[in-house]
Amino acid sequence: MRFLLALLLAWPMGAAEVRVLAAASLTEALTEIAADYEKSSGDRIVFHFGASSLLARQIEHGAPADLFLSADEVQMDQLARKRLIDASSRVSVLSNTLVIVVPRSGGQAITHARELAGRRFASVALAEPSSVPAGVYARRYLMKLGIWAQVAPKVIPTDNVRGALSAVAAGNAGAAIVYKTDARISKAVRVAVEISRSEGPAISYPFALVTAAARPREARRFLDHLRSAAARAVFTRYGFDVLR
Amino acid sequence: MSVVLRDVVLPLTPFTLDVSIDFSARTTALYGPSGAGKTTVLELIAGLRRPRSGHIELGGRDVTRLPPRLRRVGYVPQDDALFPHMTVRQNIFYGARDDGASVIDVLEIAPLLGRGVRQLSGGERKRVALARALVTRPEVLLLDEPLSGVDVALRDRVLQYLQRVLTELPIPTIYVTHQMEEVRALCEEMVILERGSVVRALRLE
Amino acid sequence: MSSAEWQILGLTLRTAALATLLIVPPGLAMAWLLARHRWRGKSLVETLVALPLVMPPVATGLLLLELLGRRGPLGGWLHRTFGLDIVFTWRAVVVAMMVMSFPLLVRAARVAFEEVNERLEQIARTLGASNTRVFFTITLPLAARGVAAGLLLAFARAVGEFGATILVAGNIPGRTTTLSLAIYNLVQLGRDADAFRLLGVSVLIAFAAVWITEAFLRRRT
Repeated sequence: MRFLLALLLAWPMGAAEVRVLAAASLTEALTEIAADYEKSSGDRIVFHFGASSLLARQIEHGAPADLFLSADEVQMDQLARKRLIDASSRVSVLSNTLVIVVPRSGGQAITHARELAGRRFASVALAEPSSVPAGVYARRYLMKLGIWAQVAPKVIPTDNVRGALSAVAAGNAGAAIVYKTDARISKAVRVAVEISRSEGPAISYPFALVTAAARPREARRFLDHLRSAAARAVFTRYGFDVLR
Repeated sequence: MSVVLRDVVLPLTPFTLDVSIDFSARTTALYGPSGAGKTTVLELIAGLRRPRSGHIELGGRDVTRLPPRLRRVGYVPQDDALFPHMTVRQNIFYGARDDGASVIDVLEIAPLLGRGVRQLSGGERKRVALARALVTRPEVLLLDEPLSGVDVALRDRVLQYLQRVLTELPIPTIYVTHQMEEVRALCEEMVILERGSVVRALRLE
Repeated sequence: MSSAEWQILGLTLRTAALATLLIVPPGLAMAWLLARHRWRGKSLVETLVALPLVMPPVATGLLLLELLGRRGPLGGWLHRTFGLDIVFTWRAVVVAMMVMSFPLLVRAARVAFEEVNERLEQIARTLGASNTRVFFTITLPLAARGVAAGLLLAFARAVGEFGATILVAGNIPGRTTTLSLAIYNLVQLGRDADAFRLLGVSVLIAFAAVWITEAFLRRRT
């Protein structure tokens, strides 16, 4: 009995485990990068993917985390104000583009975002437009086009950007605004419109070390790795834009 | 109207009911000690239980497979089974096939009609249960120990009511009891049941 | 409470009431079948009926999403035949509530039916009543209090439904955001005071429902 107890308590102290809270849109790229990194470094990377807004709230409530990889600066700013992240480690690494996706089979034709205001689109899935980065970016763009008032009543808000993607993939929503990198994940959707960098909002993914990190050294090592040429190549391959 | 049980078999515990009975008299007593299977015989006739094998005939018709509501049987169980959420009137007329005037008259239950079932005395309950069965104009009447649970003081009164009913409303009746005096007072024939088998059947004078 | 909050409460109570009403016929029928009859496959059906009670609500929600989505077997048929969409509409809210409340109603009604003296039903049959007549004139009236308690419980469960609802109906303000979902949203946004206010409303509804239910059950015949 005591042996089991000791084993239980000793377990977490074994291999160094870096806990990374990361935006949902980074899922595939990070998983691949981490798999290679684990082989070479011997550290274990444990991810928790989700909406950056939700992850930031969790960090505020004391959820254990070593790194926070956010999809927008707003969430990172909030944590910085509360000194929950190490400001000196903060660096904006990636960018992305917004796209409008429709179901691959049976999806409506669309050539410009302003058509979303029209009657052909009864529902538009967005990550929660008041808080989740992808949804906030989308809303800002639609507001800039002056059609937010027409689109808002049709919005199906999802907990994170992948939820919006799934809704279109399943045919339950007529269209969604997601990241270009997300659209490549699902075969059941097609990209109908790409919102260019000049037209769309400035998207920026800041990464930072969490102040209360249990493994700051290993976390910093992984964070540095995310900026390495090898990691950059993976990100690019998945469709992200790497910031200098 | 005759009631015939032909080679009716039904396993009970601890014995098996196995009977062939021809109830052809006006009133037949089904007599025997408690646990002999008398109530079960009534339930079989009423259709509340199915025999493992054998046939039950009512007036020449084979009713073995017929559900209770299609058999014209008036069953008054030992515990009355009056519907507690209904008035006396609603109970009596639940399955009524006529206006029940003669039945209400014979049993003198007119003053009880508006009452709730819970307000009735033991003897009154018996009369209401009997009326309820009679008003459906059954082809055979099954009475299961009608005087059980009735105060000794009231037994004679209820017995009188039964006599009136049996004389004025000529319906073939099977009367289950383990009291010899009731048999003598009311019945023409007697079938004695013990441990699921008929041990004797006789005419009484 | 703000007008938005009243709207949320209204939506929640309306959908819960509709859901409870809709499960009455199948719920009572199932309860009666389970209470009074022995039949092949009864154990299997009993287990299936109880599943939503025991499964994680989100798991049930996922099943409903697969079934009722535009590409799903039932949802696809409804969309093609009637142009009707279920997922992400108030209809999905009602469906989720129905599925989660059904086992509660069946359980309570079954117990209530079992407590009715079978003897009375038998006598009614000898008096010429069909099964339907026996059910409506004998069984149901005598089981009324227990059934009413079951309905109240089902209603309260519907009001509190979250896991299945959020998956199959989404969290669309004004359309499918129920009381529970609203509390969830407020907590996510850090609006604790507002969240606690809605929490108070939830507790009030639940308390009232259980209190009245217990009163019904205590005064059974």
